[in-house]
Parts: sequence; C-alpha cells; structure tokens
Amino acid sequence: MMKTLDRARTKRVAALVLLAFALVARTAAPAPAAAKAEKLSPPQGWVAPDRQRAIERAHENVPFVSQVKDECFVCRQQRLRNEGYGIDDITDACFLLDSPIIKKRSDQYMPVRFMHSKHAAALNDCTVCHHLRPADPQGKETSRCVACHRQAFDPRHPDRVGLKAAYHLRCIGCHEQMHKGPVDCLGCHDKNVPDHNRLVELPDHPKPSQVTVECLRCHKRQGREMLKTAHWLWRGNSAYTMGRRKEVQSGKGTNAVNNF
Amino acid sequence: MRLNRRGFFKVVGAAGVAVAGTGQNAGAWHSKAPKDPYGCLVDLTRCIGCRKCEEACNRVNRLPPPELPFDDPTVLDTRRRPTDKAYTVVNRYYTGKLDERSKLVPTFVKIQCMHCQDPACVSACIVGALTKKENGAVHYDVGKCIGCRYCMVACPFEIPAYEYYDPITPRVMKCTFCYERISKQGGLPGCAEICPVEALTFGKRSTLLEVARKRIKQDPARYLDHIYGEKELGGTSWMYISGEPFESVGFRPLPAEPIPRLTETIQHSLFSYLWSPALLFALLGGLMWSTHKKQNTSEKGGES
Ligand code: SF4
Ligand code: SF4
Ligand code: SF4
Repeated sequence: MMKTLDRARTKRVAALVLLAFALVARTAAPAPAAAKAEKLSPPQGWVAPDRQRAIERAHENVPFVSQVKDECFVCRQQRLRNEGYGIDDITDACFLLDSPIIKKRSDQYMPVRFMHSKHAAALNDCTVCHHLRPADPQGKETSRCVACHRQAFDPRHPDRVGLKAAYHLRCIGCHEQMHKGPVDCLGCHDKNVPDHNRLVELPDHPKPSQVTVECLRCHKRQGREMLKTAHWLWRGNSAYTMGRRKEVQSGKGTNAVNNF
Repeated sequence: MRLNRRGFFKVVGAAGVAVAGTGQNAGAWHSKAPKDPYGCLVDLTRCIGCRKCEEACNRVNRLPPPELPFDDPTVLDTRRRPTDKAYTVVNRYYTGKLDERSKLVPTFVKIQCMHCQDPACVSACIVGALTKKENGAVHYDVGKCIGCRYCMVACPFEIPAYEYYDPITPRVMKCTFCYERISKQGGLPGCAEICPVEALTFGKRSTLLEVARKRIKQDPARYLDHIYGEKELGGTSWMYISGEPFESVGFRPLPAEPIPRLTETIQHSLFSYLWSPALLFALLGGLMWSTHKKQNTSEKGGES
C-alpha cells in the first residue's frame, strides 16, 4: 500500500520535472514568464537590477535647455517616427522620479519608481509627455523633464512649472483622463517613514505592555482610534456575517478587564 | 423730541453724509497699495484637494494639531471657513460639471486671507495693529492689538478669526502670507512650497497677472476669462483663476472699488475742517438741551 502510493507520487513528480524540462528546452523565454506568473511580488530583499543606475540618473545634472522649440504634438510625433525613433530605443525599464530639486523642498514621500518602458509601450507616443525638444534643429533626442522643469517659481520662467508639479500634473492629469492608473498619493509613492530602529526605545526583552506604551508614545491618535474599532471592542456591526451582525456582546467593550 | 439709539445714529449719519458731500476738496482718497507686491495665483483647475497646503500652513505657523488628520477625506464633506486654528482651508464644490462618464467633477477651493491691496481690515483698525507691508503681506502686530475686532467686521471675505477661548492674551488669527518666510531671499509661503501641482503660484503680483492671462489665452476652454482679485476691491495679492463660475465656488461678486475709499472719504471729510466736529458737537448739544428741557417739563407736569 505504502509502496504503491510512493511510486505513484514519484511518477507524478518525474512527469512534472520532465514537463518543466520540455518547456525550458523548447524556448528559453516562456520559462521565466511562467515563474513570474507564479510569484506576483518580488522576494524579500530583491532590488531591481537597474535600480542603482536609476538612482544615479535621477541625480544627474542635465544641461538646461534654455531655448526649446515649440512644436505641435502631432508634428513632433511624426518627426520622431520619420527619424526612426520608437519605443525600441528605450533601454531603461525603470526610472526613479527622484531629484535633489524635489528633495530640497519637501521629503514626505519616497520617490516614484516609474515604469518608463511600460508607459512607452502602452502609449506608443513619446510626445504625450515629452512635449518639447532641444532648440538645436540637429538635436534628435527628446528632452528629459528635468532639462527644463527645475525649481518652482523661477522668476526667469514664471509660466514654467517646477519639476514636482510637472510630474504630478502630467501623471495625475493623464491617469484621470484615461481612467487608468493611480491618482492618490499612496497609489504611486511609499510614505517616507522615518527609520524606527532609531526612534524606538525599548529594553532588551520588553514585555508586551511596554511595547504598547512605546508605540503610543508617538501614535496617540491611532491609539485612540483603535479603542473604537471592533478589533478592540469585540463588539459592533459585522456587516458581512449573515445572521450574526450584532452577535458578540462580551469583550473589552463590555465585561473584560484586560486593557492592554 | 424723544431720541432713542436708532434716532441718534440717523441724525449723526445724515450729518456725516452731508459733510462728506460738501467736502469734495477735502483731499481726494489715495490708494496706499504697495507698488510691486508679491502675490499668489490660485489655479482652481489644477487643485486636486489634497490639503497638503493646510498641513504645511499648520506646520510653518505652529498651529495646534487638527481634530481630524489632514489625510482624512471626510473633512471635505463639510464646508469650512478659516479659523483661529487653521489659517487656510480647502473646500469642495460640485458645480454640476460632469466628466465623460457622467460623474460629477469636484472643484477644490483653497481660501485664506486675500491680502488686499487696500485692505478694509487695515483701514478699520484704530490702533494700526494691521498694516499692509511693501511685500504684499497684510501683517498683524499682536502688541498693538486691543481686541476690538473691527477688522473681523470690516473684512469683506470674513477672514480674521479670534481666539475667543483665551481670556488673557487672545489674538486675531489670519493667514500671515508667511511674512517672515517671504521676506527672506527665495523664501516661499509654506502652502505654495508644498503644493504638488503648483495650483498655488508664488511671485510678483504683476508677473502673476501676466501668467494668468497667458494661461487663459492658451487654453480658453479650460478657463473663464476672469482673474478674481485683479480688480475686485481695488485688487488683492492672492488671485484666482477658475474653469467654473466664481459664484458657484463660493466667491462673492465684488465691486472694483476698494472699501477704504468710501469709508475713509466719509471719515476724512468729516474731520477735514475744524468746524465739522464743532458743528457736530453743536448739533449734539442742541439735541441734549431740547431733550432735557422736554424731560423737565414732563417731570414738572407729573408733579402738578
Ligand atoms: S481679506 Fe480681509 S483680512 Fe485679508 S487683507 Fe483683505 S480685508 Fe484684510
Ligand atoms: S501664506 Fe502662509 S499663513 Fe497664509 S495660508 Fe499659506 S502657509 Fe498659511
Ligand atoms: S496643496 Fe495644492 S493641490 Fe493640494 S489642496 Fe492645496 S492648493 Fe490644492
């Protein structure tokens, strides 16, 4: 009995391995695709291979295009196409929308990891964002945002928005118009949470109550809010539990003593 | 002649208007507006209602923490006014504008002190606690304030608030235009610095007017051809452009006449010649005398 079961299992595993090998052998491409489909989120500690490059690029000082030729979107699109520029020329998958220009004024959120090639492929039109080009008629490249959009409220260019606003206006405007993509802060940014390793002050082997007290030292409001939730009170509406909507009547809200 | 309170004001008012009418040459009113002030242009078509400006204002002015956090979206469900604890507030209006999916599109409006070019509050302040500075800010000096709250009555935008809860050292509270910050080279108001979409553009008022005109001209479908604050009440340092009619997003239509022009003309003509107070006191004396006489007669009549 045991033996037959074991044999059946070995057979199944062998078949699976064979199948996997066959897949890998046939083409190299589908295998990583299959692996990617299995795991939607990157493993712990993973960083994008081009991350370091993206960070460096974000801090590069791009020469200021002081004179730019205004060109209508369609003309520009046409010209880029005629000159043979397309999405294939985009070599970087990821852009880190980070710059000392933005950091100087406020630092509430982490920089956006912008999927540049993905957007290019979806839009298939560089001029949606890159609306101006270098003044040099021989210059073929699109200008980077930071070439013109720099510090906000520059008295020399009062009608030109700063880098932060240029990003936000373009991103949010387009996402709203196309009903696609996030339009709220946390949809694109992570919060720039201060390093709690340095903030938290606890003894080596703290008691659970000590930890709670330490959290409440800064997060007083969250503490007050927590006291009103069903998680704390063990009481209240449970809108999705059919027939048991107001069932639980005992707990910290009513008759329990534990308050930590 | 029985003289009640209302009657008294009627008589005095009539005298004032009569004097103002005759005092044409009593020195015409001059605007005291600074020549090249700073300003702020609020573009309502850009504002996304994130309330980061409120948060920044609270931080740079060291105001008390709000009841509900700044990222709580329910705050926008109520229409608010600036208070002594919040110099600026963002309100949400549904003007009936629809997007292509027939959903109502909100318009967000940040309000704060307009920093009028010829401010009614400054004119009303009897001790000079409020002053219009060269850089455009209408500045409040708590050391001079006697707490009469005339400024609150005078302001056409109902901006100044008062610390009623504080019986010892109450202050009038309103947006300072971040006076200290913008006095420094390259300094920005807290709210304009943080705004993620530059719905608030800070700069010289004259430049901002050009910027506003250019924006309206370049995208006439997006904007109404009206810069609120360009002419209203003789001009304000904070100005607005919008895609929705201003009346529908909480702005009152206001005349181009600065308020102090009317009030100060009356006042100044009243005191321009020595004889006008003399006339006033003669008038009052006459009134007192006649009332007193009548009272006397009626008292005497009561006795007999
Ligand atoms: S808005 Fe009101 S408080 Fe502000 S300057 Fe004008 S009159 Fe004064
Ligand atoms: S200018 Fe300064 S005081 Fe006025 S609303 Fe902005 S941050 Fe607040
Ligand atoms: S920070 Fe700017 S976009 Fe956000 S609510 Fe204020 S004015 Fe509007």
